[in-house]
Amino acid sequence: MADILNTSLSGMRAFQRALEVTSHNIANANTPGYSRQVAEFTTREGQGTGNGFVGTGTQIATVKRIYDAILGEQLQNSTTGLARFETLAGLSGRVDSLLADPNTGLNDGLQSFFNAVQDLANDPASVPTRQALLGEAEGLAGRFRALDARLGEVDAEVNDRIRLAVDDINRLAEAIADVNDKITLTAGIGQPPNDLLDERDRLVLALSEQVSVSTVMQDDGAMNVFIGSGQSLVVGANARTLGTAGGEFDPTRTVVNYVGTAGTTPLDTSLTGGTLGGLLDFRANLLDPARQSLGQTALAFASSFNEQHMSGMDLRGNLGAEFFSVSDPLSLYSASNTGTGLADVTISDTSAFTGADYMLSFDGAAYSLTRSDSGQAVALTGSGTPADPFVADGLSIEVSGAPVAGDRVMIRSGSGLAGSIQTLIADPQNVAMAAPTRSSVSLANTGNASITPARVIDSSDPNLLDPAVIEFTGPATYSINGAGAFAYVEGSPIVVNGSEVTISGGPGVGDQFTVEANFGAGGDNSNGLILAGIQGIGVLEGGSISINENYGRLVSGVGSATRQAQSNAAAQGVLVTNAQDEVLATSAVNLDEEAAKLVRFQQAYQAVAQVVSVASTLFDSLLNATRR
Amino acid sequence: MRVSTQGSYLSGLTAMQRLQAALDQTQRQISSGRRILKPSDDPIAASRSLELRESIGRLSQFDRNAGIATNRLAQEESALTSVNDVLQRVRELALQANNATQSNESRGQIAVELRQLLDNLVQLANQKDGSGRYMFAGNLDEVVPVTRSGSGFQYNGDQGQRLIQIGQSRQVADGDPGSDVFFRVRNGNGLFSLAPAAGNTGSGILNGGSVVDPTAWVPDQYTVTFTAPDTYEVRDSSAALVSSGAWQSGDNIRFNGIEFGIQGAPGVGDAFSVGPSVYQDVFTTVERLAAAVASTVTDDNSRASMSNGINAGLVNIDQAIGNILDIRTQVGSRLAVIEKQVDTNSAFSLTLEETLAGIEDLDYAEALSRLSLQATTLEAAQQSFVRTQQLSLFNFL
Repeated sequence: MADILNTSLSGMRAFQRALEVTSHNIANANTPGYSRQVAEFTTREGQGTGNGFVGTGTQIATVKRIYDAILGEQLQNSTTGLARFETLAGLSGRVDSLLADPNTGLNDGLQSFFNAVQDLANDPASVPTRQALLGEAEGLAGRFRALDARLGEVDAEVNDRIRLAVDDINRLAEAIADVNDKITLTAGIGQPPNDLLDERDRLVLALSEQVSVSTVMQDDGAMNVFIGSGQSLVVGANARTLGTAGGEFDPTRTVVNYVGTAGTTPLDTSLTGGTLGGLLDFRANLLDPARQSLGQTALAFASSFNEQHMSGMDLRGNLGAEFFSVSDPLSLYSASNTGTGLADVTISDTSAFTGADYMLSFDGAAYSLTRSDSGQAVALTGSGTPADPFVADGLSIEVSGAPVAGDRVMIRSGSGLAGSIQTLIADPQNVAMAAPTRSSVSLANTGNASITPARVIDSSDPNLLDPAVIEFTGPATYSINGAGAFAYVEGSPIVVNGSEVTISGGPGVGDQFTVEANFGAGGDNSNGLILAGIQGIGVLEGGSISINENYGRLVSGVGSATRQAQSNAAAQGVLVTNAQDEVLATSAVNLDEEAAKLVRFQQAYQAVAQVVSVASTLFDSLLNATRR
Repeated sequence: MRVSTQGSYLSGLTAMQRLQAALDQTQRQISSGRRILKPSDDPIAASRSLELRESIGRLSQFDRNAGIATNRLAQEESALTSVNDVLQRVRELALQANNATQSNESRGQIAVELRQLLDNLVQLANQKDGSGRYMFAGNLDEVVPVTRSGSGFQYNGDQGQRLIQIGQSRQVADGDPGSDVFFRVRNGNGLFSLAPAAGNTGSGILNGGSVVDPTAWVPDQYTVTFTAPDTYEVRDSSAALVSSGAWQSGDNIRFNGIEFGIQGAPGVGDAFSVGPSVYQDVFTTVERLAAAVASTVTDDNSRASMSNGINAGLVNIDQAIGNILDIRTQVGSRLAVIEKQVDTNSAFSLTLEETLAGIEDLDYAEALSRLSLQATTLEAAQQSFVRTQQLSLFNFL
């Protein structure tokens, strides 16, 4: 009889446990990362009697969580990818809208500026039109600056988000180490600590949202977590930390360091995936090139406009001054430089200028230059002295001081230039719309030869503004200012004092042609027409790419990168959904199932309880039988 | 397949969110009328549309430029018409004054009118355009282009011509400098000019002058001298004899590919010069004509000198009228060029706008049917979500 009681007691205990497990499942039906648990029933060892083995009831061997590690890993990997592409797509999308928005983008600004140049070319002496051009110039410079500033804000935000991501990673690593510690402590019990395991899987999933990780299980149940190119983040109960610091060259740029036992190592290039990977990817492959390209556009615009403007004459009779100013490329010195070498960089050739970052390294004997984005070596010509500077990719580099082998200088040639553009012309009279020189035919000429308008080919000629008289001393011979006897070839250019003219037709002997300074020619728009033409001509990459085209390339480049990030994010989103569906299908709670189990265990419990009642009746019968 | 409660909830939710995102995109496309909302929607089309917009913007600027050039040329045209009217009147008066019936007094009155017309001409040359700048001063449009200088007239402008951009690679001049309009006019017949020497005593009147063989013409200063009442000789600037012959009134003198007539009775030793044509401004021409008309006729000699003056003036006025006509023709052809260019620009602009619309604009029919499909799908998803979420075994416990 006692056996029956014992046996039913074991059943009651087991079903109670099973109901507990079921109620735990129901309670956690909506807990993210919870894996449903199942109580595993086994029979108790039978009691050997002469009549054979008699069962002694049931027991719960273990409470098992239903979890598939392979599915879990799939989810981790796809989550890492999704977080990366979503970060990338989100940030790129903002740059994308910024560049193409008619109110912030450059196109409308460039168009109205060049329209204003044309308006002024139509009416070059008009002071209100000159004022309007200056207004448009300031507006355009403002757009360049605002665009660069907005990109700068995005850069600053990326820095902040990198710090936040690193904080998150450190916090999660700490938490994983902590859970590892708890799990190893339970090893002695011999039963799986299901909820702790769930907790750790949840933490690892959250960690892989920040950065791509790989995990390895230890025998004692602890999980080791590695990041980057195999740096350990969590080993057993110990967590390492990542740090953020200012860059080697630019203290304002946040870089990620691994703080290991042997000191800190920079990690930027090896971190992939997750929000952090997305941020680093965005900065290196979209934001930096965008700022460089914008700087390149700004420089191309300013320098080609300046050059032409300085080849013109303003209303006061002076040669045009610089219209826009743009700062020189930045030289950033490595924090680990030991020498005192300095590099002074200026832009010498717009058409070869790329806007990219370069690394100037000193090997103890000579300098060498590498383009940072491609890693390609760039040949340096010249010797680096002020008289003979190094020249490469449109840059002119003067070095001084005493560098030591291994010293490096980062040349940030284009990034940020757009933010430095300013208009220098404030007085409307100083806009140079006229050509500096003009030509004329003497009204006393007897021949019918005509002369083309003077075109300045060397605005630095010291005698540019001096008058010159071309006089025909014979039918095919001319002198300049009374000197020389040059052969006249009809239609071939004649250069005097830096200006070029062409005489054609039959000059009479004694005929005179004058080339002189174009003072007072308020109605002349010759330079204005060329200035307006800058909009359409190639100024970059050896003169094949116009300002607008270069900006268009930036817009479409950012657009395609954004689109690519968006479609990658969408694809990765599907992978995450699939992985999550599978994980949920396997591990998550189904309330109907739990309800059914509830009914099942309740009935079983009632049945066993009924057995106790039977045992009791049996016992009563026995007692009643022996009472007499 | 096993379905978890959370899984069925999440998959319903994700599906609805995805449908909502698509619906939102369609809705924004419809409300903006544009297919491409951000460059990332279609990067290639976006960059193409930037290019197209740039081209369209430039074309509309060219149209504005063309409008300005047209206005200026129309102003010039009307000024040139006035100049032509004045010169025609001068010509009429000169012909009238040359008539033998005119008395000294009546010619004096004609001279007065000629001087008024001269002032009129100077005013026309010095007129300002709509923005207050001298129309015929070239690029030096703030200085008075024509002023008197001693006995003649001086041009103070320059010879520059302002060009206006009216097409991608097309520029057109929006005016002509005064030097071309009023000053660079050849005197005589354009190749050579004739003049009596100052001290002639006879009544020889130069008559016409034409080119027989332009290749035989050697530009030089020639002097035709009457060595006897019926004999002449022609010497060049270095006094070498070029030609000589017998002459009687009305005969043509011919040498070096040119010929001209002399009428009347030149005195022995009377000379006439023949030289290459030089530039003579219109004002000087009119002034000299007025002076010739005003001269007092007392005998044959002074009548011949007056006639010579008026004849030379008439020839020069014809040159001036021809020059104005040339310039008016150029102005007319520039206007035609502008009109043609504006047509080309607008046709091109229309093509570009159509292309742009094809790239950027939304196909409403497609978008609206997409919208209704998406809305229906979302509604169905919502209904089925609510239905499945209501199902639970617990309802029956």
